[in-house]
Amino acid sequence: MQRFLDPEVLAGISSLDLLAKTVVDGFVAGLHRSPDFGFSQEFAEYRAYSPGDDLRHVDWNLFARTERCYLKRYRGETNSQLTVLLDASNSMQYTSGPPTKMDYARYIAASLFYLAIRNQRDAAGLIVFDDEVREYIRPSTRPGQLARLFAGLEHAEARARTDFAKPMQHFQNFLHRRGIAILISDFYENPETIIDTVAPLRFHGNEVVLFHILDPQEIRPAMKGSMVLVDLETDQRIEVVPEYTKTTYRVKVDAHIEELRSRALGAGMDYQLLVTNQPLDTALREYLTLRQAGN
Amino acid sequence: MGFLAPWFLGGLAALGVPIFVHLLRRHVTTPRPVSSLMFFERGIQSSTRHRRLRYLLLFALRFSLVLVIVLAFANPFVRRVSADANGRLLLIVLDNSFSMRAGARFRDAKQQALELLTKKPHTQKAQIMALGGQLEVLTQPITDEAQLRAALEGIEPGDGHASFGELGRELRTMSESSHSPADMHLFSDMQHSAMPANFADMVMPSNIKLLLHQVAQGDSPPNWTVESVNAPAELSDPKDPKRSRVTAVIAGFNTPAASKTISLVINGKVIASKKVDVPANGRTTVEFSPLDVGYGFSRCEVRIEGGDAFSSDDSSLFAVRRSDPERVLFVHATGDTRSAIYFGAALDAAAHASFALQSVAAEQATDLDPSRFAFVVLSDAVVLPSIFEHALAAYVAKGGSVFIALGTSAAHHERVPLWGSDARDPRDYARSGGAASVGQVDFSYPATEQAEPGRDNGGWATVKVLYAVPVDPAQARVAARLTDGTPLLLEKQMGEGRILLFTSGFDNLTNDLPLHPIFVAFVDRMAHYLSGSEQLSGSRLVDAFVQLRAAAAPVGVSGNVEVIDPDGRRPLSLGEARTIQSFRLQRAGFYQIRFANGRDAVIGVNPDRRESDLAPMSQDLLDLWSGSSSSAPERAPASPSEPQSQPLSLWWYVMLLALLAAMAETGLASRYMSTLREDP
Repeated sequence: MQRFLDPEVLAGISSLDLLAKTVVDGFVAGLHRSPDFGFSQEFAEYRAYSPGDDLRHVDWNLFARTERCYLKRYRGETNSQLTVLLDASNSMQYTSGPPTKMDYARYIAASLFYLAIRNQRDAAGLIVFDDEVREYIRPSTRPGQLARLFAGLEHAEARARTDFAKPMQHFQNFLHRRGIAILISDFYENPETIIDTVAPLRFHGNEVVLFHILDPQEIRPAMKGSMVLVDLETDQRIEVVPEYTKTTYRVKVDAHIEELRSRALGAGMDYQLLVTNQPLDTALREYLTLRQAGN
Repeated sequence: MGFLAPWFLGGLAALGVPIFVHLLRRHVTTPRPVSSLMFFERGIQSSTRHRRLRYLLLFALRFSLVLVIVLAFANPFVRRVSADANGRLLLIVLDNSFSMRAGARFRDAKQQALELLTKKPHTQKAQIMALGGQLEVLTQPITDEAQLRAALEGIEPGDGHASFGELGRELRTMSESSHSPADMHLFSDMQHSAMPANFADMVMPSNIKLLLHQVAQGDSPPNWTVESVNAPAELSDPKDPKRSRVTAVIAGFNTPAASKTISLVINGKVIASKKVDVPANGRTTVEFSPLDVGYGFSRCEVRIEGGDAFSSDDSSLFAVRRSDPERVLFVHATGDTRSAIYFGAALDAAAHASFALQSVAAEQATDLDPSRFAFVVLSDAVVLPSIFEHALAAYVAKGGSVFIALGTSAAHHERVPLWGSDARDPRDYARSGGAASVGQVDFSYPATEQAEPGRDNGGWATVKVLYAVPVDPAQARVAARLTDGTPLLLEKQMGEGRILLFTSGFDNLTNDLPLHPIFVAFVDRMAHYLSGSEQLSGSRLVDAFVQLRAAAAPVGVSGNVEVIDPDGRRPLSLGEARTIQSFRLQRAGFYQIRFANGRDAVIGVNPDRRESDLAPMSQDLLDLWSGSSSSAPERAPASPSEPQSQPLSLWWYVMLLALLAAMAETGLASRYMSTLREDP
C-alpha cells in the first residue's frame, strides 16, 4: 500500500476523496501494531472530577466503591480541531514534473482531513489564502464536512502573491478553540517575517505546524545553459547562468530552509520540509504525533 | 589592393549566421518560470555580464572567422612593385651561330647581354641559353649572378645554323611544363635565313614576352662564300678525267660584281688558283681538274682569296681518300654467267666508285677470304660451301656487307644463306602471262636514294619483274616492293655489318632490270653504300651526325670508337667511346674518326651556307615576331627589368588568419560549452 503514498501515483487520481482514502488507509494499515494509535471506545484514563465537568462521564461505580468522583475517559473521545491554512499564491503552481506544489499541498490537506474526520473524529477546517483570505471553511465534524473541505480544496486555484500578514490577522478571529493549525506554503519570504506573522496563532494554545512545500528543482535546480527566469508572482525576469545555480543558489536555499526551521522551532512551532517527490506519510505522521502530544 | 575572385565576396552573407546566433537568437529565448527570484541576487547580474562579454568575444571570433574565409576565397592581392621582377623569369638567349662571327656581332651581343644581367634585380631569377645549331640551356632559373655571368661569358661563337623555329619549338615545350611568366631577351643578328618556312613555328608561347636585341643594324655587308663543292670522296686514279675533278660554286650575298681568285688547297698547299668573275648577288662555278692527291686521306679546301667582311665562310673543306680500286666478290651459281656481266658492266659505269669485280662460281668460293673484299655479292647462289658461308657470317658480324640476289635456284632451296629466314613459294609472274612491276620504292634508302624521283617512280616503274621469291621481312627494312606487295629489296643488320636481299635476279631472265638505266645508278649507290666508303671521307655540314657503330650491336661486343676534333682533342670519354653510337659534328674543320669496325675516316665539316647570307629580317617581321605592331617595338628596352606592378596574392596569409581564428574559437567555445561537474 505504500505505493499509494507516492505523489506521482496520486497525481493520476482525480478525486480528492478517493485520493485521501487511499492515502490514509494505506498509511493506517502500515501503523496497525502501534499501541499509541487505537481508535475505538477503548478506556484511556481516569481523571479527577473538577467543577464544570460533564456528570455523564463520572464513573459512578467507582464513586460507589471509593466515594471519590472520577471521570472515565476514552480515547475515542479525545477529539481535536484541525485547521489547514493553505497558501494559494502563484508560486505554488510551480512544478518540474507532476504534481505541482499546489496539488501536492492539496493531497496533504485532503489526506489530513480524511484522517482527522474519518479516523479521529476531529473537527477539521480549511483556510485558503494568498495575499488575503480567499476561502474559509470552519472546523466541524458535521456530516458532509469532508465533502465541503474537498470542494474547498478543489476550488483553491493558485493566483496572486503570498502575503502572510493580512490573512494571519483574520486567522486570529477564526481560531477560537485550541487545536492544530497546519500552514502549508512554499514560504518564499524572509523567515523572520514568516515566524513573526505566524507566531500569534499559538496564543490560543494551538499547535502550529509549518509544512514547507518545495519542488526538487527549487532545491537543486538543473540548468544546461544560460536562460531567462521569470518570477511567477512578480513577472520579473532575470538571466541566470548554470554555474550560479550550482553554487551560490544552493547555498542560499539551504540557508533559507535552515533558518526557517530553526526560527520555527524556536518559536515553539513544528517545521517540516516536504519535497514534492516524497511520499505523503511524513506529513500524516507529523499530524498524528502532534495530536497525541496534544492529548 | 583588390580581389582576384571578387564574386566570392557574396559569401559575406554568411556573416548573418553568427549575428543571428549571438545577437538575434538570444532575444527569443523562452523564459523559464520559477517560484521566486528571491535567491537570485545582484551577483547574478554581474555574472551574466561577464558571460555576455564572453559571448561577444566568441561572437567576434566567429564573425572574423567567416569574414576571413570569405576573403580568402575572394583571393585578395596587393600590387607590389618590387615583387614584380621576382615573379618574371629573365631569359637571356645569346645567338652563337656561325653568322655571329661576322664583324663584332658576337662581341656586341655578349656585351649587351652582360649589361642586361648587371641591371637585373638581385632577387630576380634568370636563365641563360645559347642558340646555335640547337638551343643549349646553360643554367637553371637561378638568382646567383656570378653563376649566370660565368655561363654567359662561357658562350663562344659556334659553327651551327641558328633556327628561330627551333627556338620557338623549344620554348613552347618548356612552357608546357612551367607556366611562370618570363621575359626572353634574344641577342642576335636576326638573320633572315634563320627564319623557318612557317612563321607560326617561331611564335613564342603566351607566357613568354619576347624582347629582341638586334646587334647588326642597317644593310648587311657584302659577303662572298664557297657555297658548295662537288668532289669525289674516293679516288683511285687521279688521271681519270671523269672522276678527278673538283667543282665549286662561288656565291655572293649583297655583293657587287667582282673578280675573285679561287684556290684549291690540298694538305695545306695551294695546288691551283683560278680567277673568276662573280656577278652581283650571283653565283659562278669554278672547276679544278685533275685532282692530284696522294694515297690515303687528303685534306682539301676550296678558298676565296682576298677575304671580305665575313672571312670565316670563304673556304669549304672536304677530304679525298685515294686508294686502289677495291675488289668486289661476285659469287654466282654455276650455270649463271649472265648476271656477272650485267653487274660488272654497271659497276664499271658507276661515276663515284672504283671497284674491281671478281667473279667466282659458288663451288669455287671455299678458300676465299671475304674480308679482303669491299663487299660480297651472292647471285642466285643459295648453296654455298659451308666453310665459305661460315666465313661470310663472321665477315658480316665484323662489319662486312653482303648483297644477295635470289634467282631461280631459290625455287629448289628454301633456305636463304645468311638471311636467317626461309624463302616462300616463288612468284612466277611469267607463267600467269604477265609481269609485276615495282610499285613502292623508299627513296630515302641509301641504295635507292633519289632527291627528286620523277613520275616514273624514279625510273623503277618500267622495270618488269617476272619472277620473285617472297621472303618474310620480319626485322628487315623493306626498301622496295612489287605492285602485289612482294618485298623486292630488303636490308637486315647483323652485327656490325648489313645484308641486302634482292628477291629477284640480275640475269635478265627473272626481270629486265639490268637493261634499264636505273640499274647502273642502283648498283653504283648500292656499292657505295655497302662498301661503307661514303662515310670515310668527303664533307658534311656542322651538326650532322655520324654513325659510329651499328645500332643493333650490343654494348661491349664491338671495339672502341675514336673521334679527334679539328683542334686535335678527343671529345669522347673512354666510357662514351665504348658505348656511343652516333656523334654530332659540332665544329667546322677536319674530323678524324675510327669506327667500331676498325675503319678510319677523315671528314671535312663546313658550316651551313645559309649562315653566309647576313641579311637580317625585315622590320615588319621583327615587329610581328615580338608581338608589337607599333613603330617602335620592344626590341631594345633601356632597362629590361623596369619596375612594374604585379599582383601578389594574400591567400596564404588570410588562410593563416582563418586558422588562428578557428583555433581561438574552438578553445573559447569548448571552455564555454563544457558542463561543470555536478556538486555532490
